[in-house]
Amino acid sequence: MLLNMNMIVPLGILRNVLFQSKFPIRSMRIFPRLQLKEIREVQNEKELVIYGEIVPSERANILLKNTHPQACPLCASGLDVKHTDILIISQFVRSDGCMLPRRITGLCRTQQKRMSSLVTMAQKAGLMPNLNPANSKKDPKKRFQWKKFNKYFDESTIKS
Amino acid sequence: MSALKRVQQWATFARVWHIYDASWQNPFKSAELLKKYLMGLHKPIYHPMNDCGDHVIVINSGDIALPGDEWKRRVYFHHTGYPGGATWTLAWELHSKDPTMVLRKAVYNSMDGNLQRRYTMERLHLFPDANVPTNLLKNVSNQIQQLKAKPKRLDHYSENQVKQFPKIFDYPKDYILK
Repeated sequence: MLLNMNMIVPLGILRNVLFQSKFPIRSMRIFPRLQLKEIREVQNEKELVIYGEIVPSERANILLKNTHPQACPLCASGLDVKHTDILIISQFVRSDGCMLPRRITGLCRTQQKRMSSLVTMAQKAGLMPNLNPANSKKDPKKRFQWKKFNKYFDESTIKS
Repeated sequence: MSALKRVQQWATFARVWHIYDASWQNPFKSAELLKKYLMGLHKPIYHPMNDCGDHVIVINSGDIALPGDEWKRRVYFHHTGYPGGATWTLAWELHSKDPTMVLRKAVYNSMDGNLQRRYTMERLHLFPDANVPTNLLKNVSNQIQQLKAKPKRLDHYSENQVKQFPKIFDYPKDYILK
């Protein structure tokens, strides 16, 4: 079912769409709870207006200032990020531990590749156990065989 | 000999007890550090014939860290002397059997093989965790600084600390957070 959230959908059309489906009507949620777009419902006479509204980002006021707008945010910051700097690394990761794509991070090719290596290092070292798929054993000490012991990495081994 | 000189003499030749936290430290780099204290190489009175080594208590030897995939690359060889008596034990296997053995062997192998080595090793007290007998702990008068900082896990930061930390980039306007 395709719904453009910026479009105003009359109730008649919505009901037709819902009734045509074979499955029972459920309370549906297209966007998860943490969202930059919020769904609003307004009940006019004979008409239910559903629309998506863009919410201002929480990051806006704690964003690092980019002094070189032509460079990528990480190159511009001039930071030498290590795999133990998890407060920085965790910004580039989804809640299940997946690396965010370049389309979203806005990094240059080199930094994106380097950052994905750093994410892997931090995950292998067990520094981000809360950013993992739901089925993972969160505690690094419960890992299998050699994986349960502490390990660290050398950033100079990253090929770029 | 004046009282001052006498006390100076005692202080010079007294055995000092050091403590070292091995958590997240490389055992082989730590061995080079600990060996100086065990043999007394850090003292101006050092001489190979002068028995001036100190005691070192090492805690959390179970939490040592190896670089990369060295836990499954490093192999410990032992031969019983009988035919077919050779065994090769991986570092992680040895560490799961005895959490102090990797560090003990690292310190032992960092020193020259002479008659003093076994006696020097007697002054090394290894503990897999932070539970040290109080009769040893009360002797301690110095802490050896760790070679590298212990990394902090993301889930050990408070939620607010993570949220308030400066962010590198902002999400695109149509992005759905997961």
